[in-house]
Amino acid sequence: MASDRATLKVQERDEFGSRESRRLRRSGLVPGIVYGHGGDARPFQVEERTLRTLLGEGHTLLDLELDDSAAVPVVIKEEQRHPVRGNVIHIDCLEVRLDEKIESEVPIELEGLDQAPGVREGGVLDHVTREITVEALPTEIPEKITVDVSEMVIGDTIQLSVVTPPSGVKFMADDPEEITIATLSPPRVEEEPEPELEEETELVGEGEEGEEPAEGEEPAEPEQPERVGESEDE
Amino acid sequence: MLMPKRVKYRKQMRGRMRGNTKGGSTVAFGEYGLKSLDRGWVTNRQIEAARVAMTRKIKRGGKVWINIFPDKPYTAKPAETRMGSGKGNPEGWVAVVKPGRVMFELAGVPEDLAKDALRLAGHKLPVRTKIVRREGSEG
Repeated sequence: MASDRATLKVQERDEFGSRESRRLRRSGLVPGIVYGHGGDARPFQVEERTLRTLLGEGHTLLDLELDDSAAVPVVIKEEQRHPVRGNVIHIDCLEVRLDEKIESEVPIELEGLDQAPGVREGGVLDHVTREITVEALPTEIPEKITVDVSEMVIGDTIQLSVVTPPSGVKFMADDPEEITIATLSPPRVEEEPEPELEEETELVGEGEEGEEPAEGEEPAEPEQPERVGESEDE
Repeated sequence: MLMPKRVKYRKQMRGRMRGNTKGGSTVAFGEYGLKSLDRGWVTNRQIEAARVAMTRKIKRGGKVWINIFPDKPYTAKPAETRMGSGKGNPEGWVAVVKPGRVMFELAGVPEDLAKDALRLAGHKLPVRTKIVRREGSEG
């Protein structure tokens, strides 16, 4: 939030491309870029350890200090992560004006899950919408929107329309009635081990089509899907 | 068992599995996920075995998502057949999995039970796996 804005100190970057970025990452740095307000995009590099700590704290708005220039308020627009290791490999920052409203994605968190009568009866709570786009001043963007589910019984649904946004925040949804945040469904009945059923699949057309005949073998394998265009062509 | 309803061609080339997964590397639906650390073919039987292991462990409640689909046919030649005379017969269906792919997801159960269930599911698969949480949730 605005009062305790964290500062991210970064250095300008003048080497681009995948090879250079790979070298950067190997030396413990993360490439990034800052843009916004019609100005030029400025590439930067930042120490991975600093960035990781900062991202872990969950700040929405940061002060970005590019070399020794004055700090500019930014929001993190995108963070790219390694698919296997999960570490940040690139970061996008969007420069913002503190007096100009911006749109941002905010996570929705459910509260009072254990107290909900439906959950106690064994119902399964499905958290359908986990993020919502809000419009607010950068300083007023909440870290999360909390929704109370402690009154939910089995069969209940909570829509966005019943959630009150924090002051200064507007939900960007065309029809809040249509956006389901959570549903509480009846418990799943324990599945009994079903006997091995051979699936009813359409067999490959009994050698009617010229393409790829079955070479004298039985085409009727137990599990074979229909081939596209088999029957229609004839 | 999972398999396509209809396909254009009965047999496919084996293909390569280079690089990491392009998408599906984050938990998208549930709370916890089972991520592959290797590349490989996961057959529809293995997917089913993993699903059964998971649902039996969590007994009632909870929800399971399967994010991979075995849409690739694999062929094999009969035993004791000489090489040659064309490609073998379709034997089954596989999903191509590359490192980083979240294959199964789970929600609506306590953390320790979810981890246990995913661990059991991982034992049914031909790839090394790790249990991941949804991004943004602490832990």
